[in-house]
Amino acid sequence: MDNLLEIKGLRVSYHTYQGEVQSVRGVDLEIGQEESVALVGESGCGKSVTGKSILRLIQAPGEILPGSQITFDGRDVLSLSKKELRAYRGGQASIIFQDALAALNPTMTVGRQIMENLLYHRKIGKREARAEAIRLLGEVGIPNPEKRVDQYPHEFSGGMRQRVMIAIAFACQPQLLIADEPTTALDVTIQAQIIKLLKQLQRENHTSILMITHDLGVVASIAQRIFVMYSGVIVERGSSDDIFYRPRHPYTRALLQAVPRMDQEGKQELNSIEGTPPDLIAPPEGCPFASRCKYAMPVCARLAPEVTDFGGGHRCACWLYHEMAPRVAELNDPDAAPAGEEVGQ
Amino acid sequence: MIKFVLRRFLELLLALFLIATATFFLTAAAPGDPLLSRTLALPEASRDAMYAKYGLDKPVLERYVITMKGMLHGDFGESVVYQGQTLQTILRDKLPVSARLGLQQLIFGVLVGLLLGVIAAVKRETWIDRCIVVFAVLMMSVPELVLGLIFQKYFAGTLKLLPVIGWPTGKDLWFGGWKYTILPTLSGGLLYIATYSRLLKTSILDVLDQDYILTARSKGLSEPRIVWSHIMRNSMIPIVTRLPVTLAMCLTGSFMIEKIFAIPGIAAYFVEAVSANDLSIVLGETVFLAALFITVIFLTDILYTIVDPRIRIQGGKR
Repeated sequence: MDNLLEIKGLRVSYHTYQGEVQSVRGVDLEIGQEESVALVGESGCGKSVTGKSILRLIQAPGEILPGSQITFDGRDVLSLSKKELRAYRGGQASIIFQDALAALNPTMTVGRQIMENLLYHRKIGKREARAEAIRLLGEVGIPNPEKRVDQYPHEFSGGMRQRVMIAIAFACQPQLLIADEPTTALDVTIQAQIIKLLKQLQRENHTSILMITHDLGVVASIAQRIFVMYSGVIVERGSSDDIFYRPRHPYTRALLQAVPRMDQEGKQELNSIEGTPPDLIAPPEGCPFASRCKYAMPVCARLAPEVTDFGGGHRCACWLYHEMAPRVAELNDPDAAPAGEEVGQ
Repeated sequence: MIKFVLRRFLELLLALFLIATATFFLTAAAPGDPLLSRTLALPEASRDAMYAKYGLDKPVLERYVITMKGMLHGDFGESVVYQGQTLQTILRDKLPVSARLGLQQLIFGVLVGLLLGVIAAVKRETWIDRCIVVFAVLMMSVPELVLGLIFQKYFAGTLKLLPVIGWPTGKDLWFGGWKYTILPTLSGGLLYIATYSRLLKTSILDVLDQDYILTARSKGLSEPRIVWSHIMRNSMIPIVTRLPVTLAMCLTGSFMIEKIFAIPGIAAYFVEAVSANDLSIVLGETVFLAALFITVIFLTDILYTIVDPRIRIQGGKR
């Protein structure tokens, strides 16, 4: 399989007063052509940092550590020249953020913000770029685009602003879109519309999407494959079905159990995961989830878990699947696994 | 917008009326007799004539009405201390002097300040940045009076490079006698360097942290383009809106600087007028300064809406 994007051993650290915060500690991830991949995890697990690294948007005091590898369409992203990097950013890969109001320049009309992309990457004239900006605004579902093109971001509603961001991101038909929590700041009905729009644009532009989110509901409706991230490492990866119906890692299971279910009658108590993630200035030697894991064994705290392959790309880093580990019935029995939430579109 | 301007204009008139009234009664209530020294040696009849000439023989309330009526026509009355001088002649003679000094301080201070601000922001957390910060804090804490005296001692006294005091007048009023203007410009301008370098640096660092800078980078824009259309435009907002007040302060001069460098400017004169109890001049200048500052604040509000599209002026409410 020829992957569009391949990340190998990505490590990112932030140099702070307290010490080196190891945000991302060796992530492997790949995205195929026109594939949708989700990167799931809680706040601070390094998922956004991973996303930004793909566009080399990590700014000081952050740093992508040597030894990390990011290959896009056969080219080494981390060694692109300044000029190549500019053509890559916005031209071949683009990104949208959680808070569209903060991500849009408040003193520039949305039209000009879209035109900036077009003028640089497509080498077209101003008049043409403006017409194209209007067309793009219409395409992302903004009514009255001829008038809206000259307005400022604060004149748009939250959902409309995210549509503007999407128009900017898709302006040059990128091969890869990184969507960093694109719907988190929006209410549920708008979320569904935005996801639908992303899927539609993905089809039309043959774009691959890396969806970064903590919301498993969003993931279910868009991702073919899911990577579960915890404390800077990928703890489990697999197809959407694998993760939702056959989760292996205790963290993945706990995450799924924390999602409210619509198929249960009466009162249900939401499950939460006790404890907090480890301090990434001094990450634990063993499994980072060990301190919160109800199945933890002595080995978990001392040695980083080996990866067990369950076939079909479903892999999980957990000692419980080692041949010497005791079998935990509920982890190995598919029927005991929590079912994925149905999210209708 | 028209409603806003109109409202502001009415507010300006009201404020000026209140300020004029307060100033009038405060000066009238102040101890001391402005004509005492000039009339001490005169016979009683001449003395009474003097008091009558300036209207000082009438009761306070009557003087108040006469003064306010005159003010409506721009007549603040003759100077009690300097014969034949009125507010208008004093402003005509003294304001250009203060204005030139102020403009020089402003241009020098703000330009160098902004430059240092950009450098400090680009080189943040390095020794260059720290030097600029230390310099700025120092300049903000040392009064211009002290700076002026130090400069006089070393540049004029010890090194004999520049004149100690004096100011170009006559045909050199605007574009001559530069060597006289260097020390006063430095003494007052350093404060603006400090203020504006700190202001711009903080503002730039704030903008750099914003997500839209990340968006701009993710579009593949060139670095100069990001700096000009995204960083500078947004970080100049606090600068632009602060400039009018600085300009007004500059134009009206600084008492300390004018005093120690013997500059015949408006600020020094104003303080002299107060100590000499020169009623009409104190009143006139107070009203003039108040009008200037209120207008400047009004202009600042308009400027805000130009540089920051998020701010809109509404007719009825603020």
